[in-house]
Amino acid sequence: MDSFYLSLLVFSPLLGIILLAFMPKGNEKGLKMLGVLATLPATVLALVAYFSYLGGTSLDSFSEQARWIQFGSFGAMDPNLFTVRYELGIDGFALLMIVLTSILATLAAIASFHIKKEWKGYFMLFLLLEIGMLGVFTAQNLILFFIFFEITLIPMFFLIGKWGYFDKEKAAYSFLIYNGLGSAILLIVIMVLFAKTGTTNIEALKILVNSPEQVLTPISDSLKMGLFIALLIAFGVKLPIFPLHSWMLRVHVEAPPSIVMLHSGILLKIGAFGLIRFGMGIFPEEFQELSVLIAVLGVVNLLYGAFLAFIQTDFKMVLAYSSISHMGIVLIGLGAYNEAGVQGAIFQVVSHGLISALLFFLVSVMYERLQTTHIANLGGLAKGMPLASGFLLAGAMASLGLPGMSGFVSEFMAFLGLFREMPVLAAVGTLGIIMTAVYLLRAVLAITYGKSDREYAGITDIRSFEWAPVLVLIGLIILIGVYPAVLSQPLETIVQGIGG
Amino acid sequence: MENAWLIPLFPLLSFLALLLFGKRLKEASAYVGILLTLASLVFSVIVLVGRLTGATYKLEADWLQIGDLQLTVGFEVNQLNALMLVIVSLVSFLVHTYSKGYMHGDQRFPVFYAYLGLFTFAMLGLVLSPNLLQTYIFWELVGVGSFLLIGFYFNKESAKAAAKKAFIMTRIGDVGLFIGMILLFWQTGSFEYDEIFASVHAGEVSGTMITLTAILIFIGAVGKSGQFPLHTWLPDAMEGPTPVSALIHAATMVAAGVYLVATMFPLFAASETAMSTVAIVGAVTAIFAATIGLTQTDIKRVLAYSTVSQLGYMMLALGAAGYAAGVFHLMTHAFFKALLFLAAGSVIHAVHTQDIEKMGGLWKKLSFTAPLFLIGTLAISGVPLFSGFFSKDEILIAAWANGNYILFWLAVIAAFFTAFYMFRLFFMVFSGKARSEMKNVHESPVSMTGPMIVLGILAVVSGYVNTPWFGTFLGDWLVEGNEALGHGHIEGPAWIMIVATVVSLAGIYLAYLMYSKRSISRDWFTSRAPTLYSIVVNKYFIDEIYQTTIVYATKAISLFLRFIEMFLVNGLVQLVTGIVRGLGKTGAKLQNGQIQTYGTVAFLGLAVLLLIFALTGGYLNG
Repeated sequence: MDSFYLSLLVFSPLLGIILLAFMPKGNEKGLKMLGVLATLPATVLALVAYFSYLGGTSLDSFSEQARWIQFGSFGAMDPNLFTVRYELGIDGFALLMIVLTSILATLAAIASFHIKKEWKGYFMLFLLLEIGMLGVFTAQNLILFFIFFEITLIPMFFLIGKWGYFDKEKAAYSFLIYNGLGSAILLIVIMVLFAKTGTTNIEALKILVNSPEQVLTPISDSLKMGLFIALLIAFGVKLPIFPLHSWMLRVHVEAPPSIVMLHSGILLKIGAFGLIRFGMGIFPEEFQELSVLIAVLGVVNLLYGAFLAFIQTDFKMVLAYSSISHMGIVLIGLGAYNEAGVQGAIFQVVSHGLISALLFFLVSVMYERLQTTHIANLGGLAKGMPLASGFLLAGAMASLGLPGMSGFVSEFMAFLGLFREMPVLAAVGTLGIIMTAVYLLRAVLAITYGKSDREYAGITDIRSFEWAPVLVLIGLIILIGVYPAVLSQPLETIVQGIGG
Repeated sequence: MENAWLIPLFPLLSFLALLLFGKRLKEASAYVGILLTLASLVFSVIVLVGRLTGATYKLEADWLQIGDLQLTVGFEVNQLNALMLVIVSLVSFLVHTYSKGYMHGDQRFPVFYAYLGLFTFAMLGLVLSPNLLQTYIFWELVGVGSFLLIGFYFNKESAKAAAKKAFIMTRIGDVGLFIGMILLFWQTGSFEYDEIFASVHAGEVSGTMITLTAILIFIGAVGKSGQFPLHTWLPDAMEGPTPVSALIHAATMVAAGVYLVATMFPLFAASETAMSTVAIVGAVTAIFAATIGLTQTDIKRVLAYSTVSQLGYMMLALGAAGYAAGVFHLMTHAFFKALLFLAAGSVIHAVHTQDIEKMGGLWKKLSFTAPLFLIGTLAISGVPLFSGFFSKDEILIAAWANGNYILFWLAVIAAFFTAFYMFRLFFMVFSGKARSEMKNVHESPVSMTGPMIVLGILAVVSGYVNTPWFGTFLGDWLVEGNEALGHGHIEGPAWIMIVATVVSLAGIYLAYLMYSKRSISRDWFTSRAPTLYSIVVNKYFIDEIYQTTIVYATKAISLFLRFIEMFLVNGLVQLVTGIVRGLGKTGAKLQNGQIQTYGTVAFLGLAVLLLIFALTGGYLNG
């Protein structure tokens, strides 16, 4: 069935970009309002899609395609050969990612009220970034995926480089170099697959790559393994996997917090999305063969991030290393390669997206008032900003996997999965559960509890527009923690049967 | 019983309501909390009465689907948790009432009541859980309630440190429980208690695995119940307001570890190693904490160490197959220890200090608190006819009957110490003359003395539900219909009761001689063994040992990883950027503006393409 639903959803921010182009540069209020409004159509459409899915609509009914590019003249042999169509579609995982992306985009747009300059350019880039992110999750073939993937890079580069903090240019360049190299590797994989099979459609590849008799040119096992490892590296940069992570630390610290909400909340997750959809989907055997390695990398990420987060002096750095650590849980779940593990990994993708968005929003709130995120300069904040401090503590609790909040469900399932396959490695990994509590409480209590060295008189607590992101995010975090079926239901068909 | 699930929801409602409207309600928040916990109490009593005559009730609903696995949540009412429901909701209700007077005038009065509601919700939810996963969920939530209340005076550095320590030390234990729970799940295919026990009973789980999972789960209990070596957080937790110490760190949450072992008893009972581990840890903790209790001078810390010690007794009982004895002591202890803490709070409320060196002569000034404190002291010391006497006696008999003679004598010595340090505390606070100037010492308001009187009555009479003289009703009822729990009452030699009475009275008499009559000098012992004294008064330097080993090791690992980050990872970054920059420069050099160069490159490129075409052309056509 053909519909334009997904296209409408993905490109709806474009309307905002066009309208913004006609707005005067100095109209701060108007630009900000329009920026937020422009993200709403996608959010509404994504939520409608989610609820109509729960109501029984098949996800296939959302898929659409159109002829686009044809290479060579193979039409006589097979009209699909070497053809790249414009095709969008979603499965349960992609549906969740679209809902998450659109909601976080709206909230990050609200958080962008803290941006101090050049709102016009900012919001235009912001909306372009949103198009890229939404496209990545809906693309049904690798070429289209790659194009959307690249679309996210460019606005990010400028958003970091122009609206960031002191070392913003350096951060922007290291972002571009690492992600550019990641894309290059990804492109090589895509091209090899295209040349060998004549298609880049993901569903077709899932079948073709694993059934040698149907392919134009047979793909040897060693080439398959090579391609999978290349994919692992390409998406490993994004996730990021140790030791490919240093670029994302800079981005976390230097980019404006509203952008970090999206970066940490969504962009890092493209790595996980790619690993699951392409890595696991197209190369299931290779994935299973390397599952021990992936699980080990997960535990390394988990512990490495946690130990380094423990000695950071800037709260943003604590959160940056915390992201590395939490992405370790994703890898742990994937490495387990069974139903519980993979479902845990996907849960962690969504859960961490919400939690880190919440924490970075609070960073934005704090920085706006106090002009610092250095732990040593803070302390006793609960006296001046009891609400913000309370939410910060709640965010930390969610992050350290407190039951009743989303982080626990994902962590629990990832470990449940790994304990079945590699109990000893999993036991080592549980050290991370303790360390997470240690570094988060160290940082958050140092900020909110204790004596205050500075006066908080005249500092306002959470105010007006700031309530929206805080309440929505906390609400979703608790909803998933208490009633995980909101996520597990769309994932049923994806997870079923993995690992046998 | 079908409505038992409502019991935890009342305090949850209190938490949410006070979070939203606390600021407007101000001190009227207390009524919200008191009324809603009263509702929990009433329902709990109804449930207990229902369970006394009815059967176990269990109800579950789907919670989380993982592929083909279906995890559930629900609630169950059996003997043990019907009893626990009443204990928890009663103590919580009394503490809610008491706090109205104790916390009067505090700026964050509504927040305090909100946290109490959160904690009570979690504790009642824990008690009702029919499976291990749900138990774990609430197990963590009670930890958060405790953390928030310990750190209630958040701008005090010591409160902040204590809250953090409590959270982390218990989490270390929790990870044990987490691992044990998951391993058990893959062994038995279920988190449900009944299914786990059925699987264990049917011999589907290997002996090694039973021992391993039981001990891992016990590590969780060690953390929560402040057992050696994870006990250090509990005395520090006294930084919280005193009603909190009574509720969380005496009567309910710290008993959750004992409750967990009791709930999982059929698993533990299937492994001799696990049972003796529990018994040994319990006995060692009992005597170890008791010795520290001898030397402390902070009224709440003395009580804290006595709590650690008494929890050790309960563990000893369970480890010695005395299921009923352990649960019985859990109940009596909840009452007399809550009483002692509330009475201590009343003393602190009156004199504004916690240092017993500065107190003295309060007997006449606090005409309600003092006798109530005495009742609690008599009960914990095991003086005949008080509740603690009967429950401690059951434990000693269980230890003896189980053949753990060494542990039995350790427990007897600990009983002597207990009587001694508790009466040392009593005499130093209430007898003699005041050792510092105390102005305006006055008795607490009725909202505070009322709950103390209720607990005082229970501290006396609650032992009579289970006595060798009039019948062991509680014990028999607790094990009814479940052989795995052993006997409700274990027969033991009669001399044990005499020994227990003698050591208890001897302890009291010695304390009387040293601290009231003063016929023995106070430093009689300390002057003779100063080294030993300094070790004990410094709590065996456990905190310092942790500081110099684990804490430093963590920092060392972190610094080592930072070294890796700086040199290896950043080295990689330099390499990557270097290559990119190099390529960029080469590329830039090519852009030299000379048409000839461009032409050459274009030509070369074309040649390469043609070459490729020529080489692969045959293939493409074929």
